[in-house]
Amino acid sequence: MDKIILGRYLPGDSIIYRLDPRGKFLLTFYFVGIVFLANNVASYAFLLAFVLFAVYLSKINFGFFIKGLRPIFWLILFTVALQLFFTPSNHPLWHWGILTFSKEGMVIAGYIFIRFVLIIFISTLLTLTTTPIEISDSIESILKPLKKINFPVTQVALMLSIALRFVPLLVDETTKIMDAQRARGVDFGEGVLIKRIKSFVPILIPLFVSSFSIAYDLAIAMESRGYKDGEGRSKYRVLSWDKRDNLMVLFMAVVTIILLFLRSY
Amino acid sequence: MEKIISIENLNYTYPESKKPAIKDLSLDIYKNEWLSIVGKNGSGKSTLTKLIDGLIEASSGTITIAGQVINEENIWDARKRIGIIFQNPDHQFVGATVEDDVAFGLENQGMPREDMIKEVDRALALVKMSDFKTRDPQSLSGGQKQRVAIAGVLATKPQIIIMDESTSMLDPDGRKTVLDLVQQLRKQQDLTIISITHDIEETELSQRIVVLNDGQIVKDGKPVDIYDLGSNLRKYGLEEPFSSKLMSIIRVTEKLPEGYLSEEELKQQLWKLHSNM
Ligand SMILES: Nc1ncnc2c1ncn2[C@@H]1O[C@H](COP(=O)(O)OP(=O)(O)OP(=O)(O)O)[C@@H](O)[C@H]1O
Ligand SMILES: [Mg+2]
Repeated sequence: MDKIILGRYLPGDSIIYRLDPRGKFLLTFYFVGIVFLANNVASYAFLLAFVLFAVYLSKINFGFFIKGLRPIFWLILFTVALQLFFTPSNHPLWHWGILTFSKEGMVIAGYIFIRFVLIIFISTLLTLTTTPIEISDSIESILKPLKKINFPVTQVALMLSIALRFVPLLVDETTKIMDAQRARGVDFGEGVLIKRIKSFVPILIPLFVSSFSIAYDLAIAMESRGYKDGEGRSKYRVLSWDKRDNLMVLFMAVVTIILLFLRSY
Repeated sequence: MEKIISIENLNYTYPESKKPAIKDLSLDIYKNEWLSIVGKNGSGKSTLTKLIDGLIEASSGTITIAGQVINEENIWDARKRIGIIFQNPDHQFVGATVEDDVAFGLENQGMPREDMIKEVDRALALVKMSDFKTRDPQSLSGGQKQRVAIAGVLATKPQIIIMDESTSMLDPDGRKTVLDLVQQLRKQQDLTIISITHDIEETELSQRIVVLNDGQIVKDGKPVDIYDLGSNLRKYGLEEPFSSKLMSIIRVTEKLPEGYLSEEELKQQLWKLHSNM
């Protein structure tokens, strides 16, 4: 479980940490969008420089970002290989059956690879520097207009934040159950895939049972503390949009303009 | 004495079970009283607290809180008077950080933010957890979690506090701090305390002990009378008090006054015996 970096928060302090989570959240999505505008060496190099600069500003060890790539390493390898051997070309360097290896293929594979790196790095940056609760607060704030059409924004946000809060508890619970089953002689690491999946059944059932009992207890505790339906509640945590957040938006606008310029160049 | 909670002929059976968890139970709890509820595992203690707070609905019987018979309409008002610290601290955190969690009850009341900040700080200072304000509750030790849960209840300033084995994970010092605090609040702010416990020392603080068995009250009396049961206490999930154990040993050879003696009284008796030798 420790290996998964994407989606994990790393306590720390830097300008990136202090930015308003709503801004970070929206601009991360925006950036993932404009990555697809890049179409030549200059524009990709520019976006890469931008991401590396943001990583530098965050003061987070670069190793965490590399680790962020690990869970999807095989997906990246597969996609890159696909581009490398299946990009049609009039001047193939090497040809064998349906496989074609060409300069164009190499360039496209390179672009795809950079694209993966850009998207993973920027989203890792968001999750490493933003607590889950800040993310769910942002979602609540962004979705607020939907209240007009009676969408239960506050309830959904609370649900999301509780769900996020219970992930570590359920991970603990899973470990406990696995240890208990191991003590009864269940082996999780061995055998063919089917056998391994089968050995997870005795984990899933107790896990479901204990999740339900936790959820029941929590609902009771929330109600006893006066939680009714999310209406008429005040908020302890507030998000504040500062000058630096305006600057970040402005900075992103400049990045977009430069990108558009490099693209047509 | 003024009744604050009055329970009459209460019955409850969990939907998924056949055996009733609470059987025709009647109990009056008085204002400013410290009442201990004891009983072995599964005797219905936690069920009773949930019924009092209207979190589960009784099959029959009535509950009156501060003069009002509880029904679906006024239950939310009644709940504002009651603060419950539940048995399992892991299953009652809502907030992502300690301060957020303490604020949860206040948010539900719609308290303005500036007041909440003050209240959260006050409540955390009371349980000596101010330094952990920004921590994730999940990263705390069992005892620290219980303190945060207690702070969450204290923040809302209830008139009745129900503690369901809430000090079971605290170390002796921590337990003493919390119990002294609760005692002090009870005296200063006229609170009523209901504490569910297996800890004999905790019951010594109370004015009255109710023993529950199989969903029914089997004993109800002053601590001294209950301690008189001596080794029979074990049947009800309670350790025999130290002085009571000591007395039964001494009684084998020496003559002591009848009934339970507090540690202080016992000390006096021992000195008397000593000087007679
Ligand atoms: N959610 C539930 N569903 C079904 N039965 C339950 C549920 N909770 C408790 N019970 C049953 O109701 C009875 C009383 O349980 P309760 O939790 O009130 O006991 P308790 O006195 O608090 O025990 P403990 O000292 O272990 O906390 C038990 O027989 C228990 O098995
Ligand atoms: Mg219980």
